Amino acid sequence: MPRINEAFLLRIVAKNDIIKPMEILPQLILNSLIAGAIYALIALGFNLIYGATRFFNLAHGVMAVIGGYSVFYFVKTLGWDLWLGVVVGILLAGLIGWLVDKMVYLPLRRRKASNMILLVASLGVFTTIQAIIAILFTSQFQTLSQNAGTQKIFEIGGGIITQIQLIVLVSGVAIMVGLALMLKYTIFGKAIKAISDDEEVAKIVGIDTNKIIGYVFFIGSAIAGLGGILVGFDTGIEPTMGMGLLLKGVIAAIVGGVGNIYGGVLGSFLLGFVENFGIWKISGEWKDAIAFILLIIFLIFRPKGIMQK
Amino acid sequence: MDSQNKNTCCAGKGWFVGVVVVVAVVIVGYFIFKSPSEPFATEPVLNKPVSVAPIKIGVVGPLTGDMANIGENMRAAVEIATEEINLAGGISGRQLNIIYEDSKCVGKEGSSAVSKLINIDKVSAILGDTCSSSTLAQAPISEKAKVVQLSYCSTAPDITNAGDYIFRDVPSDLFQAKFAANYIYNKLGKKKVAILFINNDWGNGIDKAFNDAFLAIGGQIVNREGYDLATKDLRSQLTKIKGLNPEVVYFAGFTDSTIAGLKQAKELGLKNIFFGADSWDDTKIWNDLGIAGNDAIFTVVGTASTDDFKAKMQAKLNKPDIIYCSNYAYDGLKVLAKGLSSVGGDATKLKDALYNINYTGGVSAETITFDKNGDPVTFNYIVKKVQDGKVEIVK
Repeated sequence: MPRINEAFLLRIVAKNDIIKPMEILPQLILNSLIAGAIYALIALGFNLIYGATRFFNLAHGVMAVIGGYSVFYFVKTLGWDLWLGVVVGILLAGLIGWLVDKMVYLPLRRRKASNMILLVASLGVFTTIQAIIAILFTSQFQTLSQNAGTQKIFEIGGGIITQIQLIVLVSGVAIMVGLALMLKYTIFGKAIKAISDDEEVAKIVGIDTNKIIGYVFFIGSAIAGLGGILVGFDTGIEPTMGMGLLLKGVIAAIVGGVGNIYGGVLGSFLLGFVENFGIWKISGEWKDAIAFILLIIFLIFRPKGIMQK
Repeated sequence: MDSQNKNTCCAGKGWFVGVVVVVAVVIVGYFIFKSPSEPFATEPVLNKPVSVAPIKIGVVGPLTGDMANIGENMRAAVEIATEEINLAGGISGRQLNIIYEDSKCVGKEGSSAVSKLINIDKVSAILGDTCSSSTLAQAPISEKAKVVQLSYCSTAPDITNAGDYIFRDVPSDLFQAKFAANYIYNKLGKKKVAILFINNDWGNGIDKAFNDAFLAIGGQIVNREGYDLATKDLRSQLTKIKGLNPEVVYFAGFTDSTIAGLKQAKELGLKNIFFGADSWDDTKIWNDLGIAGNDAIFTVVGTASTDDFKAKMQAKLNKPDIIYCSNYAYDGLKVLAKGLSSVGGDATKLKDALYNINYTGGVSAETITFDKNGDPVTFNYIVKKVQDGKVEIVK
């Protein structure tokens, strides 16, 4: 199971003298994996969309918020069954992502708008949806889980993980595998690859690029919605959580190789590990700063990321 | 057509329409996002005929956000105090009007709220803020405008020197830290402590104060972990603390992060005592946590709620819930009113009046007097313990 990034970091960690060594190591590793899985869920969708459209979709962050709040509304407020609420939440996030493409990005793409303009438009979409959610649900921090602190807890190799966190890990891996298989073996996947290689040529070959891109937005936003739901169960939701998740997802995507599905996942886990092992020696306030320092280092020395396209 | 529009920017109708749209969006946006302070601003005018212009006092607090429960609780207390003041004839025969503003517990919002109160509403004094970050951001503005500001809940040590016009009826955390350090070391007999604090003015202040105080009496601080004020994920910090195995974790956190942090600590299997500070007096925390908050213990400034006050608060909030900031806000408003009355309602003389004031019979401290820095002279701390969502005073 240890992959390149983990072993690499473990070697570095072992070199420094840690106050309380091996006792906490399993927990640190688990924390890193969980964080990495959450970032991966965001980065996967982001990379998928970037690969097909070549612009930074900032609105991607708010799709996670939509997912979280849908479940909050359907399950906690209306009292629906949990699984139904989750499925509806994921589909709703996907649907809104698809709608945003149809109503905002597609008309702009038709007018040959530059990526800068699309970026600004996506920021506008992000802010608008976030504000609407804040108006509808108030800015208060809410939790999705029904029972406070009485989750099932598992012990893995000396570290503790809750049921929700296990689901996060499993979902992250499952979706990555599913996405990779889809891209490689289905015609739809090949169409996406074709579009990301060259949209013009794909059109000439007969692919309905706008329809495929619409589906890409649906899938990408749905995955982000799932990410938001899981974060909601793990810690909680608030309208402003989108930007934080998006930034971490973008860092992961850039570090891993933007536009590359495998790269996004690699970058996510690397980010998770660097964050958690980083504050082992440094004080906790530096956690976010470490993430961004990692990004800057990569942008300076390896701007195309770990896995270059 | 497209290339034509691209090259001829800012010419003709398109540009004008764009400007109109931007201006319209800004105006609409302002009204949508403006905190709804104006509709609730003025208190209902009572039977007394108002022949002279009312006295306006601005009240700032976190009416939304992380500390919203504390803010709403405070507002109820201020409304009660206002009604009582006006029923007794107002201030020098003039009605007291309160203008509420939401600071969201953030320096930026707080300072713009105070700017508005001073420059646009022209208030005679300001009661606020709850959060030390906001108060510290607001203090320079009030000081410069020579408007008295009295905080009812900001305990960061830095506020002592925030200005001549800046007062507070709650004591500095230097004292709370000493009290807590003593209690942990002597009463609980624990010598090994880790500090977990929220990274804002209050958290930083109390971290430093507690660290100094505990080391001074011979205790051991194994670690000082800060966390970002917006984060709800404290697992990395808690894992690190678990590895260092302290007897007590001195947890200086605000409402949301405390709820998340204590839940995560329980999940991670931390077995130490969690000791908090006055921010833990927010009942929302313990209602939310239930049994997950058991055995949490914290210090807070003492209060002396009268039955009358308790009944009125219960009537206003439809539940028995009093957070200590509300007691100090109630007394704070009465202190300001007393001060203004003693100088005939002249706001410019309020500062000097406050330095000489002696207020008793309130619902917070026994007497309220201010030292040369505007800090309260007398105060006492109590210890509270949590069991099954209920908070009890210890000893």
